[in-house]
Amino acid sequence: MLLAVVPALATGGAELDYAVTCQGCHLGDGSGTDTVPRLAGSVARFLRVPGGREYVARVPGVAQAPLDDAATAGVLNWMLKRFDAEHLPADFVPYSATEIGTLRRAPLIDVQTVRRRLLDALEHDAPTR
Amino acid sequence: MTDRLDRLCERLTRGFARRTSRRAFFTRLGTLLVGVAGVPVLPVARAAADDDARVPVPDDAALHGDVGDPSSCNYWRHCAIDGFLCSCCGGSQNTCPPGTEMSPVTWIGTCRNPADGKDYVISYNDCCGQTLCMRCRCTRTEAERPVYVTMKNNDLLWCFGTKSRAVNCSVAVVLGVATRS
Repeated sequence: MLLAVVPALATGGAELDYAVTCQGCHLGDGSGTDTVPRLAGSVARFLRVPGGREYVARVPGVAQAPLDDAATAGVLNWMLKRFDAEHLPADFVPYSATEIGTLRRAPLIDVQTVRRRLLDALEHDAPTR
Repeated sequence: MTDRLDRLCERLTRGFARRTSRRAFFTRLGTLLVGVAGVPVLPVARAAADDDARVPVPDDAALHGDVGDPSSCNYWRHCAIDGFLCSCCGGSQNTCPPGTEMSPVTWIGTCRNPADGKDYVISYNDCCGQTLCMRCRCTRTEAERPVYVTMKNNDLLWCFGTKSRAVNCSVAVVLGVATRS
């Protein structure tokens, strides 16, 4: 019996929301693919540069997630800790439902350009690795 | 000494040859090789690597009729599948047919298992690298959304991150139990 047991996803909302809403593309371990950005060991770095906190909540996968503001904040806070606790700033304040609500209503038109600018800033201003 | 060793080897080899058939050996070897190769590529195997909590996969033997038949569109895991069932195409509900590659990027939904009444998280991975299988075509749409909600639409091909974008069939892998706390 090859698949006799499966991991339990019974621990609560955020983990289950990640599995059903995000994992299909970002994968169970957050490793992503050649076309899907990697979360593991990477995503919390954005919180270390100006504009990064807003960017993370405005990327299409977060802003358009079929979850309400509270559940979206929950899964985003969960994945930051789960996949990149290493880069999470010590003074990180978890996203609130209100903050997610405001940010997701300001669409990110050109994701790639903003992403590149933030990654450049990370490389030049805050070499963390 | 060498002579005795020769005789011993000969006796063992002949005995082994008498007791077994070559076909049976190759069947078992083939099953082992394919099975072992399949383990690390299954998303459930990777997901399981860092998770202590385990629940048993529900036993399909407890189900009667179509809901327990992996080659039926009405199989309980197929509540949101759109495509050709790998179970009818040389694979199974968990594995891709030979010559195809399982897409890591998948459509994920939940289905209720009628045997235990629990909702399970199901990953519908496309198997890619061959032309359409054309057998056991199923279209079920539980929790599916229109195509402009691409992440929740199963009409799309989901061969992303694979060498080939040609879709052959779809599997329905159980990732876990979906229980709200």
